[in-house]
Amino acid sequence: MITIKGVRKTYKAGDTEVKALRGIDLEIHKGEFISIAGPSGSGKTTLLNLIGCIDTVDEGKITIDEEVVTELDKEAKTSYRRNKLGFIFQSYNLIPVLTAYENVALSLQLLGLKEKEIKERTMTILKEVGLEGMEDRRPAKLSGGQQQRVAVARALVKNPLIVLADEPTANLDSHTGEEILKLMKKMNEKHGTTFIFSTHDKMVMEYASRLVSIHDGEFTSDERR
Amino acid sequence: MKLGSIAYRNIYRNKRRSILSATAIMVASMSIVLLFSLLTGMQGDLSYNLQTYATGAVRIRDAEFSRNERLNPMHLTIENVDRLTEELLATPGVSVVSPRISFPARIYRGDETYTSQGVGLNFDTEALYQDLGPEVLQKGRLPEAGKNEALLGYKLAGKAGVDIGDRITLMSTTASRGTNAITFEVVGLAVFPMTATNETTFYAPLDRVQYFLKMDDQVKEVLVKTDVGVDTKMMAETLKTTLTDVDELEIIDWTSISTSYSFIELAAAVYNIVALFFFFLASTVILNTTIMVIFERMKEIGTLNAMGMSGKDLVRLFFLESLYIAVIGSVIGVVLGIIITQILTRTGINLGAAMDGVDFDISSVLYPRLSLKSTVLVFFYSVVVASVVSIFPSRRASRIEPVEALRAV
Repeated sequence: MITIKGVRKTYKAGDTEVKALRGIDLEIHKGEFISIAGPSGSGKTTLLNLIGCIDTVDEGKITIDEEVVTELDKEAKTSYRRNKLGFIFQSYNLIPVLTAYENVALSLQLLGLKEKEIKERTMTILKEVGLEGMEDRRPAKLSGGQQQRVAVARALVKNPLIVLADEPTANLDSHTGEEILKLMKKMNEKHGTTFIFSTHDKMVMEYASRLVSIHDGEFTSDERR
Repeated sequence: MKLGSIAYRNIYRNKRRSILSATAIMVASMSIVLLFSLLTGMQGDLSYNLQTYATGAVRIRDAEFSRNERLNPMHLTIENVDRLTEELLATPGVSVVSPRISFPARIYRGDETYTSQGVGLNFDTEALYQDLGPEVLQKGRLPEAGKNEALLGYKLAGKAGVDIGDRITLMSTTASRGTNAITFEVVGLAVFPMTATNETTFYAPLDRVQYFLKMDDQVKEVLVKTDVGVDTKMMAETLKTTLTDVDELEIIDWTSISTSYSFIELAAAVYNIVALFFFFLASTVILNTTIMVIFERMKEIGTLNAMGMSGKDLVRLFFLESLYIAVIGSVIGVVLGIIITQILTRTGINLGAAMDGVDFDISSVLYPRLSLKSTVLVFFYSVVVASVVSIFPSRRASRIEPVEALRAV
């Protein structure tokens, strides 16, 4: 489903060149719950950004469902993200002026769906992530765990092909982090959505059905469980 | 959730900054409403003063008068005044006429002489033409026909040291090019709207001035006022075709005579440019706010972009936020401008000492007048300028790469 071939990415940090990815290859199958694990600066976030079409490769190509996404222009990438991808961020990144309901519904509004369908799907997913009754709360009135649940709902509500989660539990305590992981796993099993998440937390790695380790921009292991 | 609602809610995220931006627009709109109201008031005032004291809406003089004006051609007069007055009053659109003789004179008082401008008027009909009520006539009474009596501007009276009951002797050139003198009793003191008029002008009965200047049954000019809304240029053209002896007359509308009115029209054009600059200046606050907002919400821009919001929608989101601030600021500014104008319309602005020695046909107390057209224009001006200015930083939001935006702290 996702084929990554010979992908290289180099950043410039001042005068220094940082080789974030050094020609990596990887295949990810539909419905996998895969963790990209590695220390800070190993290249895991860069890899997620490239798969998520929010960054561009220097070399190589990424194919998702037979579409070479690395060759899409800026507008096409935006459209691709809108229709096919869901994102979960480390610091939740909810829109502070919107309620939990509105944050989730926004994903569907960007797709141009009708209000009735938006309402049905949003309410259903909020119930699934355990936020029933909290629809009208703004992010500031929600705990970290609840905010991340909104973020999970926002990513999943549009039934994306892939959900990309960059260290989704890093800002949560271990108990809440585990709850979020269980939720993500449940969603993965229920909807069959492919989850790719980065982490350097051992507890998080335990939940992955496949663990790919990365170090200095190169894969060091690929372990299926 | 529409973009407009998100933009509206965003205004409240940093209330103090939004209030500051709206205040800048508010102050600009309010000031410009006041400025234009003052200008409209000045135009109305100038128009009234010129038409009442100087030119009429249409002025009729001898055909040769203007060409020889520098020589003070008192012999170039209008005859058959009664017939001309009848013809004028029968013309549709003409509301009132004032046959008059204005003449330069020197007042002699002891060893001193004072330059003055006399005006011979028919006081029986002049009250229809200009306000001679208690607002103007501050002391005494109006002169009577057949009597050597004069109404003096209060500053002229002060300068010459005369009061009610005193006599003044004056000399002037007559229609037969000789010099003559006459003595008038001061029966009234007037406060004319214009400072310059108060300093130099006196009124006397038309028949006595005709006698004094040897202009039996003649006048120097006939001033015509028209009904409201009548095009004075068109009226002058009409009179050129309808009056008897038109070949012997110069018929000209006031806008073609007065240079001061052209000055005000020029000022209006300049004020429009000033207003535009004012709004640009105020808009820099909105510009600054939008730049700061984009910088602060970098991560949010990245998130929205990652979710698939198009660049066009991102621009619209920030543009709408600025637009709302501009609309709120403009509405409050325009309303405040209207309220202050209404108060000043009642109280007036006393230019007082500032107008001393100024030879300009503006009253010493100015009454701003609200102009609906310019007030509506001010509102649109401020909203459009402020919004257009905010487009530039807003467009930046669409150019930010999501990966950079998400990296922002």
